[in-house]
Parts: sequence; C-alpha cells; structure tokens
Amino acid sequence: MEPENEKYRRVLNILRNSKPELGSTYNIENEVFKRISKVKQPKINLSDLIDFLFGWVYIGWVRRSLITASILLVLVFVYQQSVILKRIDALGRQTVVNERANIPESADEIEKLLMVYRYSGRRFPSKTITISERQINELIKSINELQVKYKDLENLLKGDPELKELIEKKLIENNSTKTSL
Amino acid sequence: MKNKSIKLVASLILMFVVSCDDPVTVVTNYVHPDGSVTRKIEVTSKKKSFKNSNLQVPFDSTWTITDSWAIASNGDTSWIRKAVKLFKNIDEINLSYKRDSGANREISRQTAFRKRFKWFNTEYRFSEMIDKTMSYGYPIENFLSKDELVFLHSPDSIIINKQLGSDSLKYKAFSDTISRKTDKWMGKSMVSEWIGEFSKLTAGKTGNELNIKSLKAREDEFGKIIEKNDKKLDSLWKNGILLKELIGEANALKYKIEADSAASLVSSKILLDFKEYSVRIVMPGKLIGTNGFIDSSHALLWPVKSEYFLTEPYEMWAESRIPNLWAWIVSGVFLIFVLTGVLIKVIKKG
Repeated sequence: MEPENEKYRRVLNILRNSKPELGSTYNIENEVFKRISKVKQPKINLSDLIDFLFGWVYIGWVRRSLITASILLVLVFVYQQSVILKRIDALGRQTVVNERANIPESADEIEKLLMVYRYSGRRFPSKTITISERQINELIKSINELQVKYKDLENLLKGDPELKELIEKKLIENNSTKTSL
Repeated sequence: MKNKSIKLVASLILMFVVSCDDPVTVVTNYVHPDGSVTRKIEVTSKKKSFKNSNLQVPFDSTWTITDSWAIASNGDTSWIRKAVKLFKNIDEINLSYKRDSGANREISRQTAFRKRFKWFNTEYRFSEMIDKTMSYGYPIENFLSKDELVFLHSPDSIIINKQLGSDSLKYKAFSDTISRKTDKWMGKSMVSEWIGEFSKLTAGKTGNELNIKSLKAREDEFGKIIEKNDKKLDSLWKNGILLKELIGEANALKYKIEADSAASLVSSKILLDFKEYSVRIVMPGKLIGTNGFIDSSHALLWPVKSEYFLTEPYEMWAESRIPNLWAWIVSGVFLIFVLTGVLIKVIKKG
C-alpha cells in the first residue's frame, strides 16, 4: 500500500508544481465579464412585452369583462354628457336680468372688474365693446386717480372726526333738501 | 272674482312688504366645492343706522363688516353695509337662521348642500329653502300656468321692463290675469286654512259634528258665501251672522271663540311680518340647472317675497358640475388599452 501512496503523493506534487501558464488574463477577464453581464441584462423582447401586457386577450372571461366595462364606460360618458348638454341648453333659454339687484357698485367692485379686465389681456367680449382702447385707458386712469383722492379724503376724515361729522351732516341735509323739493 | 277682503289683505301685505325706508338687501352665497360657503350680505339703506331688527338676513359681529356710502345721480345718499363670512358648512348657516332676531325671524329658513361623485363629473347642488306659512292652503301651481308662475316669480326689474316695453298691453293683460287667478288662489287657501285651524281647535269636543271632512266638503259653498257677502264681510263676521250661515246657528254659538281664534290665526299667517330681499348664488364649476334668474354678473338671482311661500315651500336651487380630469384620463387610457388588446388578438388571429 505504501508504494501506491507514495506514487499518489508524487503525482500530486508534480501537478501542484506544474501550474498552467495563463498567456492572456485580459481576455479571460473580458470573457467572464461578458458572461456575467449577459446574465444580468436579459434581452428586451417586444413580443414578450406585448404577450405580458395583453395576455388577457387569450383568457375569454377577462377579455369579455374588459370589453363590457369599456362599453359601459362609453355609454355612461355619452349619457352623462348628453344630459348635461340638454340642461345647459335649457339654461340658455332662461331669462337674464339686466340689472344687478339694485346694489350700487362700490370702489372694491370696480377694482375687481378692472383687475379682471387687466388680467384678461385687456379684452372685452366682441359683442359688448363699444369704446376704444384709448378711452378705456383714460377711464382706468381717471378711476385710479379718483381712488387715490378718495383714499386721501378717507385718511383725512379718519384723522379728523369733527370734519367727518360735518360732512355727514351736510350730506344728510343735502339729501333731505332734495327729497323735500 | 273680485273679493274686496282679499284685496284688502293684498294691500295690507303690500303695506307691510313695501316700505320706502326698508333696506334693500342682497345675500350672495359663494358655494365652494368642499361644501363651505362664503356669504356676503349687502344692505343699502337710506338711513345710516342698520338696526338688527330691521335687517332681512341675520349677521353679527363675527362677520367682516365694511360700511360705505354712495351718492346716486339724483344726489340721494345711500348707506351701504357689507358683511362677509366664510361658513364651514351649511349647518353653520342654518344655525344662524335659527338664531335670527331680525325682521324675518318668524319664517323658517334653511340651506342644503349636496355633492355627488359621478365618475366623469362631480355634481353640486345648493339650495336655500323657506318653509310654507300656511298648513292647509292650495299650491299656487294649481291656479297658474308655467309661464304665469315664471312671471309671478320674476324680479321687479323684469316685470317693469315688460310692462313698459313694446308689448306693454299684452303684459298688462297677462298681469291682470295673474292677479285674478292669485285672488282666487288666496281666497280658496284662506277658506281651507280656516277650516283646518277651526277643525283642529274643535277636535275632540263632545257632540262636535264639525270634523275636517264635513267642513272640507262644503269648502266651495263657504267660498261662495264669503264672495256673496264680500262688501260687508267684516261686520257680518263680527256680528256672527256669517258664521251662522257657515256652520249653523247652534254651532256658531257653541264654537264662536274657536271660529274667531281660527280666523285670527289665518290672518296672522297671511299678514306675515316679512321684509323682502334677494338671494344670489354663485356655484363652483359650470352651471347645469337652476330655478332662478341669471343676472348681468352671471350669478343666479331670486327675489324673496312673502306670497312665494304662503302655501308651498319656496326653494331656490342651483346645480353645477366640475369635470374630474383624472377620471377622463384614466378612462381614456383604459379604453385605449382594451382596444389595443382586441386589435392585437384580431391581427394575430388573421
């Protein structure tokens, strides 16, 4: 048994001492990386994607359910929109009051209207425009000036309650004189 | 039918309702998608003082109040009070109506808000409702046609414009017809109300043969008796002659107090202490339905007058919708997806 063991040890020693010589480690490295990258990035196949997304078309009950749901969705949409359009059409025939409930427009309302006008690109609906752009600008300018003067007057009155009272009294007197006339 | 008592009642109502010193009030409800409502009350008065007892719609110190004045082209000065408040929901508005101690505290008012999700759109409904004051009156719809009802509920400016316009004669005749019909409605409702109240007061009394059924069966007869004696109605009622004719001598003597109480109840319901005003509603999104009038600022407008809610509740409602953009996109993508699937199947099969 001993000579056989000895032989085996010798063979092992010979094999250990005779390592293979690697001529191009670079190529081997590349080959390894290529194989790894092939495993990590499977090839995107369009037909596989379509099969994945639209696999349901081959399942009868799913296909039928989805088609029914689509038809119902379209029907609901058509019904809802037709009802709404019919109602809006009926609204169009409704009476329009030309007055705004008898409340005089005050400064803040005019400001809002002017703001709307400014932000709407200084456009009025074509049917209602009757004055020129220049006239509108003049109007805005004069309203702004008037508002500044009004605020000055308001501040002046705030600081002087006697003056405020006097003006109010005068206004009431003026009003009653006109009524009695 | 020319019933002078009705005319008297109508003129009394007018006297109560139309007073030059009454403030002109407009309530605007800006309804928000979450159910909150910004309420703006604009009161224009010829007097500088705004007494709470004189105001048509309640507001208090929790509101943002601004006062201003305006001078009309004829030189008249108007005092304007504006009050604004954001209400989290309609319950808060209803609570303020319940606590109202103003000029219209006797009437019951409430608001309602409904939001409905309908996939492609979300629909909103906002309404202000005034409860009816009479319990046994007849609905005015039974007496007036649809056009006549619209005319009756129109804002004053529309009625005046029509009556002064090119078709003035036509509208004058139309207005007279409505007036005649409303007289009839009022008369019948008054009789019905008296019967109802009188039956309630005499119910359960021993030996009473006057139940509501037997009195109702004679309603037209009562109407004719009143119509026949309309010139001396007050004196006949006071002397008990009319009551004897209506329910018989024995019953008239037996139930005089109840009959008088019922008559007084009816008159208090008709001669309601009420100051008229206007309601405006601005809805979120696009308007799809309303029973109001559209004013020049594209808001909805309703005049509120006492005769509108005598026998039927007066509901001022508006409905609008806001499209759910995300639902439109989801639905579109879903439809394209299903359509593509079907096409792929057809192609592969082919």
